[in-house]
Amino acid sequence: MRVIAVSLGLAGRNLLLVRRVPSVFIPSLVMPLFILIATAGAFHGIGALPQFAGESYLAFTIPMAAVMGAGFAGINSGMTLARDLEGGFFDRLQSSPAPRLALVLGPMLAAQARSLVTTVVVLLAGMVGGVMPPGIAPTLVIFAFALLFAAAASFWAIGVALRTRTIQAAPIMQLAVFLSVFMSVAYVPQDALTGWLATIARYNPVTYILDAARSAELTGTVVWAETWPGLVAAGALVILLGAFAIVPLRGLGTR
Amino acid sequence: MSAPAVETHDLVREYKGGVRAVDGVTLRVGSGGIFGFLGPNGAGKSTMVRMLTTLLRPTAGTARVAGHDVQEDPDAVRRRIGVALQDAAIDPYMTGRELLRLQGVLHGLRRAECRARADDLLGRVGLEDAADRRVGTYSGGMRRRLDLALSLVHEPVVLFLDEPTTGLDPTSRVALWEEVRRLNRAHGTTIFLTTQYLEEADQLADRVAIIDDGRIVADGSPAALKAGVGHPLLTVTAAEGSSPGDIASVLARFGQVVPGSAPGGSGVRLPGGSAAMADAVRALDEAGVQFQAIDLAEPTLDDVFLACTGRHLEGAGEAPAPAA
Amino acid sequence: MTAAAPALRQTAALAWRSIITTIRLPQAWFPALFFPLVLMAIFTASFGGAPGAVPGFPPVRGFLDFAVCGAVIQGVLIAGTSAGAAFATDIEGGFFDRLVASPTSRVAILTGRLGASMALGAFQAVLFIGIAWAFGARVQAGIAGFAIVLLIAVLFAAAVGGLGVYLALRTGSGEAVQGMFPLFFALLFFSSAFFPLETMTGWYAAVAAANPITYLVEAMRLEVIGGATPGTALAGIGIALGLAAITIGASALALRRRLRVAA
Repeated sequence: MRVIAVSLGLAGRNLLLVRRVPSVFIPSLVMPLFILIATAGAFHGIGALPQFAGESYLAFTIPMAAVMGAGFAGINSGMTLARDLEGGFFDRLQSSPAPRLALVLGPMLAAQARSLVTTVVVLLAGMVGGVMPPGIAPTLVIFAFALLFAAAASFWAIGVALRTRTIQAAPIMQLAVFLSVFMSVAYVPQDALTGWLATIARYNPVTYILDAARSAELTGTVVWAETWPGLVAAGALVILLGAFAIVPLRGLGTR
Repeated sequence: MSAPAVETHDLVREYKGGVRAVDGVTLRVGSGGIFGFLGPNGAGKSTMVRMLTTLLRPTAGTARVAGHDVQEDPDAVRRRIGVALQDAAIDPYMTGRELLRLQGVLHGLRRAECRARADDLLGRVGLEDAADRRVGTYSGGMRRRLDLALSLVHEPVVLFLDEPTTGLDPTSRVALWEEVRRLNRAHGTTIFLTTQYLEEADQLADRVAIIDDGRIVADGSPAALKAGVGHPLLTVTAAEGSSPGDIASVLARFGQVVPGSAPGGSGVRLPGGSAAMADAVRALDEAGVQFQAIDLAEPTLDDVFLACTGRHLEGAGEAPAPAA
Repeated sequence: MTAAAPALRQTAALAWRSIITTIRLPQAWFPALFFPLVLMAIFTASFGGAPGAVPGFPPVRGFLDFAVCGAVIQGVLIAGTSAGAAFATDIEGGFFDRLVASPTSRVAILTGRLGASMALGAFQAVLFIGIAWAFGARVQAGIAGFAIVLLIAVLFAAAVGGLGVYLALRTGSGEAVQGMFPLFFALLFFSSAFFPLETMTGWYAAVAAANPITYLVEAMRLEVIGGATPGTALAGIGIALGLAAITIGASALALRRRLRVAA
């Protein structure tokens, strides 16, 4: 189908840009790595809490770093689109017969590709720190969640880009993703959370995504009962934010 | 192609607050020629082009490009048009070759075809050497050439050029004009070009429409429009020993005298143009009237604009035309 | 004495201008207030169970008491980076040239900007501790302790401001200065700003122990959670002063170099 071919073409261009623009490329690799090291290093002591049941805090942090990396990849795809809109390159895309859907799917696929890379980096860093990958099936589960979250974050950022048409909206893209991850079980399990955060986290889809990814990482197996809530949450995010990204396509050309 | 290249009917584009960038434009551009859309900044040229290239939705009215309605069948339009806009919409981090191949992908060409077209076009616009350098390193003229190449990837029937030589140095400008003429001659591509430079419209276009404040104020071939303003003005400046009156009485034989058109001399509208100028000079000579300067000024499109709107066209003084 | 008076007045005027322009531009002050407070809230809610349960955690009334000083330092760091970026923008935009071409004292150009940073740093410290107080935290060492926290914050603000100005003078680009922020943020994380040094292990603990920010934050924190001594207070003040001396000295040199080239 043409949508796929054109989407892949646009995704390829996005990935090309990442390689060529060091100010985007380096942070997107370094940030998830930094989050892993800084979190696991600074808050190492929290692992003594009974709710951790003796698990390694580094292992506990790996899924969160992978998800954040996927989130960054998503944000960057939106920022690239915003730059294209502001700079006029998007006019070229829009006046071509490229299927409208491809204009959104292309950047999203690029974000997913990059999330695979950042997840690999995080897992490798974990190995350096002494935590081995949990086994083939659980590792694939972690990759799956990275892909899903990258898609969700990408759709969010793309939706913002299409509506604001300026790179100045980048903080909006970033803030939503950061807060959605930090206002969940980013640092401790749900039962260790206190007060307002415990309530918010319970209703935050990212909590279930992290829980499911952590189940794979920490138990070394895929426990279906602990995984399906995460998949549902991730799927819901992808669908809702996908709509958020695609709806403005119809209005292209009204401004 | 029998259908007109561009056809609009009462096309309107209104923005919030009631500002009408395009205020009821009805146009008919036959296929195969070069059509110039001339007007000052803010006249509505770019808005027109954006509507015709499906980037902007008209508020009212209809537009058909290459035989298809821009609102009802935009994809059909997109497949048949090439677009090179004002900002040379390119990506500075990609190479020329990569951008051309991407354009091919966007148009649904197969991989091998994309490569072949890219190589061919790079050669055509003279960018083979720079093809694998990042576009960010290209000069302004090179960017416009790449923009042109990008708009030709799928062999469009109608090519839209929005202010293609704005900001270019004279050499690049002439080169681009040549390329545009060649495209039109060799491939029969209809060219729809907008410009603020009257020289450009005059030199390139077979037909010109002058737009001001969102409305067409004049429409026709450059020659016809200029002839419609009046005949060329011959001005003669008196030298020592003659008076403006002497000159005027001689020139009165050749056409209508325009008093005050030349300080220290006289002017006359010459129906015969440059051919009659020789006769006028001979007549002055025979009458023994001395003159120190003589000039024949053809009406320009700026005169046309002036006649229609009462104002001069901005930028009329820029873009000096190299001797044709 | 008389030569100093106009310089002082100019310093005050330039400081005032820096403060006003910061207030008028939300993106200049919003991140410096929002992020440290949000993180403080999230950490407090996430790590509420740490005091008492985590070995090595100092005795505190609550995690919020522990966290507030780290938030102040983070806020000062962000504000200082923004100040440097603003100074670079002045250079880019020509305001700096206008100053240089006027009879403004060269020293005032620097002290004006630093004065503004110090004032804003003081404001941040008061605001953050005030907010923490509203949510139940208390300064164990009382008014005197609060004064020491304020002093260290203000001195650190001068230090970061100096660093920002130095980078601005060397790069002349607001973007370049802003781009430095991730580095500073990393520096902050590799300290005891957010969690006690005693709970860290391995090479991470070693890095944090070598980081001057650790001792800066510790000195402030002990005033809040209790356990401060004149020794810890002096150490904190000393480090902040030392950092300020280094960065301000460097920026003074950079200023002189730029002026010499310009003339």
